[in-house]
Amino acid sequence: MGLAATTGTGAPSSSFDEVLRTETLILIGANPYEAHPVLAQKVLERINKENLKLIVIDPRKTYLAKLANLWLPLKPGTDVALLNGIAYVILKENLYNKEFIEKHVENFEGYREYILSEWDLVKVQRITEINPVLIEKTAMIYAKSKSGLIWWGVGLVEHRSGSYAVMAASNLALLCGFYGKPGCGAMPLRGHNNVQGACDMGALPYVLPGYQRVSDPAVRLRFKELWGTDIPDKPGLNETKMYEAALKGDLKALYIIGYNIAATHANLNFVWKALENLEFMIVQDIFMTRTAQMAHVVLPAESFLEKEGTFTNGERRIQKINPAVKPPGEALPDWKILQKLANRLGFNWDYETPEDIWNEIRRAVPAMKGITYERLEKTGIQWPCPDENHPGTELLFTNGFPTYTGKAKLVPPKYISPEEHPDKEYPFLLITGTRLYHFRSGSMTNKISTLKQLCPYEKLSINSEDAKKLEIYNDSLVKLKSRRGEITVKVEISDEVPPGIVFMDFHFEDTLTNLLTSSAKDELADTPEYKITTVKIEKL
Amino acid sequence: MIKFEINKQEVYGFSGETILDVAKRYNIYIPSLCYLSKDKPSKISCGLCVVEVKGEGIKRACETKIKEGLKVFTNTPEVKKIRKELLQKLIKNHYGDCKAPCHVPCPGGLNIQGYIGLIAKGDFKGALALIKEKLPLPASVGRVCPRFCEPVCRRALVDEPIAINHLKRFVADYGLKYGEDLPSIPPSTGKRVAIIGAGPSGLSCAYFLRLKGHEVTIFDAHEEPGGLLRYGIPSYKLPIEIVRKEVENIFRLDIEFQGGKVWGKDFSLKDLFEQGFSAIFIGVGARKERKLGFEGEELALSGLKLLFDIKENKFRENLSGKRVLVIAGGYTAIAVARSIRRLSADVYVIYRRSKLEMPIPQRELRDAEKEGIKFLFMSMPLKIQKEGDKYRVLTVKTILSEPDEHKVRKVLPAKGTEEWQEFDLVIKALREGPETDFVNYGKLEEKLEINPGGYLVVNNFTLEINVPGVFAGGDFIYGPKTVIQAVASGRKAAQSINTYLLKEKSPKKTITVKFDFSRGKRLDQIDPYYAEQFSEKQSKSPKELPISERISSFKEIYSTFSEKEAIEEAQRCLQCGCLGFHKCEFREILIKENVSVIGIPTKFRYPLNKDHPLINVELNKCIACFRCMRACPYNSIEMKIIDKGTPEEHITFYFKETCVKCGICVDVCPTGALTKKEQKVPYSLENVKIVKSVCGYCGVGCNINIHVRNNTILEITGENRPPNYGNLCVKGRFGFEIYKNEERLKKPLIREDRKDEFKEVSWEEALDFVAEKLSKIKKVYGSHAIGLLSSSKITNEENYLAQKFARAVLGTNNIDCSARV
Repeated sequence: MGLAATTGTGAPSSSFDEVLRTETLILIGANPYEAHPVLAQKVLERINKENLKLIVIDPRKTYLAKLANLWLPLKPGTDVALLNGIAYVILKENLYNKEFIEKHVENFEGYREYILSEWDLVKVQRITEINPVLIEKTAMIYAKSKSGLIWWGVGLVEHRSGSYAVMAASNLALLCGFYGKPGCGAMPLRGHNNVQGACDMGALPYVLPGYQRVSDPAVRLRFKELWGTDIPDKPGLNETKMYEAALKGDLKALYIIGYNIAATHANLNFVWKALENLEFMIVQDIFMTRTAQMAHVVLPAESFLEKEGTFTNGERRIQKINPAVKPPGEALPDWKILQKLANRLGFNWDYETPEDIWNEIRRAVPAMKGITYERLEKTGIQWPCPDENHPGTELLFTNGFPTYTGKAKLVPPKYISPEEHPDKEYPFLLITGTRLYHFRSGSMTNKISTLKQLCPYEKLSINSEDAKKLEIYNDSLVKLKSRRGEITVKVEISDEVPPGIVFMDFHFEDTLTNLLTSSAKDELADTPEYKITTVKIEKL
Repeated sequence: MIKFEINKQEVYGFSGETILDVAKRYNIYIPSLCYLSKDKPSKISCGLCVVEVKGEGIKRACETKIKEGLKVFTNTPEVKKIRKELLQKLIKNHYGDCKAPCHVPCPGGLNIQGYIGLIAKGDFKGALALIKEKLPLPASVGRVCPRFCEPVCRRALVDEPIAINHLKRFVADYGLKYGEDLPSIPPSTGKRVAIIGAGPSGLSCAYFLRLKGHEVTIFDAHEEPGGLLRYGIPSYKLPIEIVRKEVENIFRLDIEFQGGKVWGKDFSLKDLFEQGFSAIFIGVGARKERKLGFEGEELALSGLKLLFDIKENKFRENLSGKRVLVIAGGYTAIAVARSIRRLSADVYVIYRRSKLEMPIPQRELRDAEKEGIKFLFMSMPLKIQKEGDKYRVLTVKTILSEPDEHKVRKVLPAKGTEEWQEFDLVIKALREGPETDFVNYGKLEEKLEINPGGYLVVNNFTLEINVPGVFAGGDFIYGPKTVIQAVASGRKAAQSINTYLLKEKSPKKTITVKFDFSRGKRLDQIDPYYAEQFSEKQSKSPKELPISERISSFKEIYSTFSEKEAIEEAQRCLQCGCLGFHKCEFREILIKENVSVIGIPTKFRYPLNKDHPLINVELNKCIACFRCMRACPYNSIEMKIIDKGTPEEHITFYFKETCVKCGICVDVCPTGALTKKEQKVPYSLENVKIVKSVCGYCGVGCNINIHVRNNTILEITGENRPPNYGNLCVKGRFGFEIYKNEERLKKPLIREDRKDEFKEVSWEEALDFVAEKLSKIKKVYGSHAIGLLSSSKITNEENYLAQKFARAVLGTNNIDCSARV
């Protein structure tokens, strides 16, 4: 949401390989070392050659933070303030790219006034607890580089002002003219293999495939022509709103495909209550997940090793997957199940192969029209790719931005402080994240003995000072309580987390970290504030 | 762009590139064991990339920057000579086995180490599928195989050989018990093949022809298929039920069986061709019994016939208290003796030579002795007379002559040792011989060429005979041999028939034995220190019937391993064969440069290092290229070499704590020095299907190569294209074993109420249930009472259909996905 507000599109601006060409990389709220290891490898390749300026903004002293030129251990949830502080220096010191702004950016003056009047470094320091010298250095290094790249992870996004934080990051790139050039960009690192594709395909309540707005009658008409059915005009509910509707009794049935919400969503007690309130619940998955156990119907699906289709990675690269092995038992690919159900409900869908569906997508989404299965067999192609001779697009915005005016917009990002703050009762701040050997709810990786043995159970990472005060040691069992729930977990003393902050993953169904997590959510996107939960620790 | 020439071919490169960089891009062969990529140059070059540059002489291609107009030659005699010398140095420090010693003598060519490895992992179906690539009758062979493999098993140096055959039998029985996936059959080629004889060679030939899509009909004189397996081999070794089930599995591939049809009586070869068969395979076995030529020989009963009668319940006399003499000491004789013993007879076996010369495994002999069979070694019959019900047999002791020019020691009677003995029954079970009556069966048969030994003349490579379209195999052409040999010849014939039918050129096979490294061809040649690195763990035999029960019934003697026993036994395997075989560039270069492995080391130097959780390190095979160290983005490998390339060379290698187990080091290692623990199956690239796909974990979208064999993923490697250029993480490279997990959902489950247990139902029922419920809710509460959460794990096509389903079918925009998580 934040990206679209500034550049006109939510699409990631650049290829991952820009990191091989950039002068400066800012990593914010991202730990690719554990969550996107192959990207970390690219960063390390540059570090090993000693020709990359790396700035890491993260409360935790992650592996890459240790190797960075600068590490800014901001107070969790204060990213907007920090990024605005960096912008303050850039504006104050006239480090911005005047030519680029004149040519490609709107609302510079409004933005400038907002930043300079609201975000002086004294205020920024008070909120973020970062020394202004570090902020100044960051701004200098980034703005004075020939090329600059910003990568963020969900650490930036999963806050009450997450969408604003994304705008704030994108603003920096706009200020310095770091869009549309090699080694430049500002983009998210996608968690799942096909986050990008799911959004591109319109699995969102407010857009149809290709980000075409449901609210636009012309768009609805186009899809009516393509599908032969009316497109509902009433805006849909997003995930969080669906739970709320279910709790109220307005939503009666939920069909969940390949998504273990009963383990991965924040504030699980709330989610469970909502799900229990449903009259009918269908889960389609490859394992009997925590979510599937709550369903009325469980449908066996095929894994990515068994089926054909395409995924779109975090740099808009559409790539072909091919079946390597037979599915177990009677498992079917998700598309076949959907088609069989549609047939039963009176729709004569008759796709014979995923390619048939793909060819319909090409008609629905002009930016993908030029991408054929035949081309994909050879190599992946980054959309937009409007015709079959088009090579695909590595870098977006080389010729302006996809807005009505062709210009991007500097948007003043609002800072909203996290909902919870450590206090006497709940003195610690819990951050959740990923560990290297597991993936998301662990429904896959916990089934793989080689990975399981490398990381067999949930751990609470805690600073040695805090551990000393609490008189707990490695492998001590502690009870962790938040305002919403409690769990018991083993301790791992780690100085990656600073005093006052603890860290947990959410890969294990026997230790459901999300029983604790916050009920707060992003003001614009409704994304839960996973990253900030205040907790207390009781020694067992 | 810089233009220059390699081997007179015009090529272009960029400034700063080396000759090797450009050659790699053009796919021009210049060997190198240390080259990684343009930006990761080797600090100590392996030197193999030498080329001749006109006017400049011999240069290393990896160090020579390109220049306009350069003339490079990659294959001059001088270059070849230098490479050969370098390779010979490497050979002298490379200690290991390219191929598992157990694989080498197996007539069936089974990937023994591979299936044992899969058993050790608990992947029994995978193990069975690997066996069935070469052997469609593993339950039978697993009971009767003479086990060419076990005597060469290196584990004997530690404690005892692996019970290979029992393991094979275990997975075969597992398949018979729990069902197995049928192999996939390609669309019909429209060609029909007739097979005469439903014994092991015929069945095997039919099976492999079917796998190529040909239509197959088998004719057999008996009513049931199976040949000797079904009718000859005694039940205490091979129960009829096992053969039936196993043969049934073969016929499930839509092979036609015509029982009770006798070649020469019911049809001739010409008839078959006239019926539209395009090729014929003859595998009718060798049933004709030989003669020794002594007086009264014809009075003895036929052993083979007796075995048939016993198996068909036609001969079940109680022979209690009767003395029975069995003449000869081969498989048939011992089978007859042990069968008769089960009818309570007092059995004597007379054999012309000594115990050790018997042409059967000693194990077989020990079993016979345990059951109380008595042996008259170094003896032979001279005369048989019948007096009433009794047989009088004149026997004589034998001596062996001095070896003749063929080193054969002939059997001679020892004069003066003649003795008359009395028996109630005398059975003759000499080695079966060729039968040539078939030349009278028809016009085509007349043409068949017979060799002086009495067997059909066949092309040993293709099993073709002198009538086009006719092939033969098994005992029919070689005389009585083992089941596994018959199966192998059936498979070979199937390959030739396929080539014949599709008019393809027969694939050229290069013989590569001279490039095979070995730790020692015989057990006594192996460095004893090699065995010392393994701790002892005795082999367990499967349960066997007590003697009293054995000799009173035809019940099977040995039972099958339990799952636990099988896994434990399989885990004893030393994994001698190189798990890096498929990626070994060293071997590839030796073959290309035609440098045979002479002077290979026999000294064991570095114990196998298994400290890493996913990677095995065997420095005996390290060629010191440092690729692993250079490829590691985490600088997690510490490696030092002193006196490189000399006999005193010493390598130290370890993984640092910073290692994140991504495994790139294994993929770039050009030998088997670094291998993946979970790979288990040694293989060559031509035996796997490489499926190009994309990793299913995070949003980077790494391109992967999935190495699949049957339905088993052997490993995943990174593909060298954006965005990952060959790199992967620990999950991408090692985290694929979700596909065989027993906990995978396999059938739809439904329940009316959350309080109920789930019940497994058919797709039809589940989908009807869902459709009905959704329709009802939509009708009562409206479309907006339904929501759909799609997945950021599933494909674009599926997400597209999911949102189309919500909008078009359910009529709501209540669709969201896990993108925000």
